[in-house]
Amino acid sequence: MKFLSLLHKKLSVTFIALIVISLTAIITTSVQAQDGTVYPANAAEVSYAELDSLPDFRGLWFPAFRQVGGDEPVLIGEALAKWEVYAARMAIDPNFEVPETTNNCEPDGMPYIMNFPYSVEFLFTPGKITVIQEALMQVRRIFTDGRPIPARDELDPNYFGYSRGHWEGNTLVVTTIGTQPGQRLGRPGITNSDQLTITERIYLDEENPDQLHLDWTFEDPKVLAQPWNMTHTFRRDRTWEQLEYICSQNDRHLLDSDGQTLPPEEIRN
Amino acid sequence: MEKIFALITAIALCSALSTAVLAHHSFAMFDQAIKVEFTGVVGEVQWTNPHVWIMVDVPQDDGTAIRWGVEFTSKVHLTRRGFSPDLFSLGDKVTFSVSPYADGSPGGRFFWAQLDNGTYYCDGGARSVCEEKN
Repeated sequence: MKFLSLLHKKLSVTFIALIVISLTAIITTSVQAQDGTVYPANAAEVSYAELDSLPDFRGLWFPAFRQVGGDEPVLIGEALAKWEVYAARMAIDPNFEVPETTNNCEPDGMPYIMNFPYSVEFLFTPGKITVIQEALMQVRRIFTDGRPIPARDELDPNYFGYSRGHWEGNTLVVTTIGTQPGQRLGRPGITNSDQLTITERIYLDEENPDQLHLDWTFEDPKVLAQPWNMTHTFRRDRTWEQLEYICSQNDRHLLDSDGQTLPPEEIRN
Repeated sequence: MEKIFALITAIALCSALSTAVLAHHSFAMFDQAIKVEFTGVVGEVQWTNPHVWIMVDVPQDDGTAIRWGVEFTSKVHLTRRGFSPDLFSLGDKVTFSVSPYADGSPGGRFFWAQLDNGTYYCDGGARSVCEEKN
């Protein structure tokens, strides 16, 4: 009888352990959101030959701030109301700072990762392009191996979103969705919603191969009444490599409750 | 209305441009319209990202000193402009020009520095000062 009771206990413990293990497996699977598919970018069979036909994007690309073009955004709803509040404050207070995540050393995410005032570097590997922003050493991945772009509601919104690209001749065309709401969209004071779609066209200048063009189209039905187009130009530098930039190394500024940067505590009045 | 929109756009553009050097926060906390000069002794050198800092002890008439903080851009940008970590050493006597903090705190954004040997080092916006003095 005692033996049966002990066996029963042991079986119960085993049963509970099995449930826990199964649950853990289910949770892990859903967090990783992977279905086991091996896409061409990571496949065992690989050919680097495809890279030979691509344009030369090597070197560091520095944004040319005086060559930013495009049209004006037509804001709607909360985005318009927020912009009007910021614009009114800026008009009366030159020391007003638009609250932004980067003021606190957070990464910029997409799309500001691309034209932050440091360099970007493109790494081409078969089926994938990796973009490194020097500032805060941010990394984004653009899948060019034909994998499908997930539905918006299947993505866990994050800083850089999910980017799928393809080549149209010598132009890299990239679609990005899944960026988390509240990141800078195009200029300080405008931020995206969860419905943002970014289309990028990235290409070398036909006459000057040391110039790179990045054309953006933002579509965000909660923020913009119509697509917003912006153009950027970058100049190539082949002499430098990217330098280390750890923002938390010595970020001496705190933000006040209004999102304004304060002088360091040790010298603050 | 058009004028207001142009003004707003201009402000937004200034704001966007102002990120060009400091990057992780804007220039808004500095009074860019004013430059303040002071001479002191280097008390601390922080050759770091996201900003390089030089803490300077500025002697007062009563024999005490007030510590000023000079905020530069990142060491990434400074390295590319030819600055090096050994440019300022502890105990060096240096004269600085800065855009002061708008709230009156002792410190500001680096504009130029004159080392004790007379050499000037300049921020991008003060390039003409260096061209004239050096």
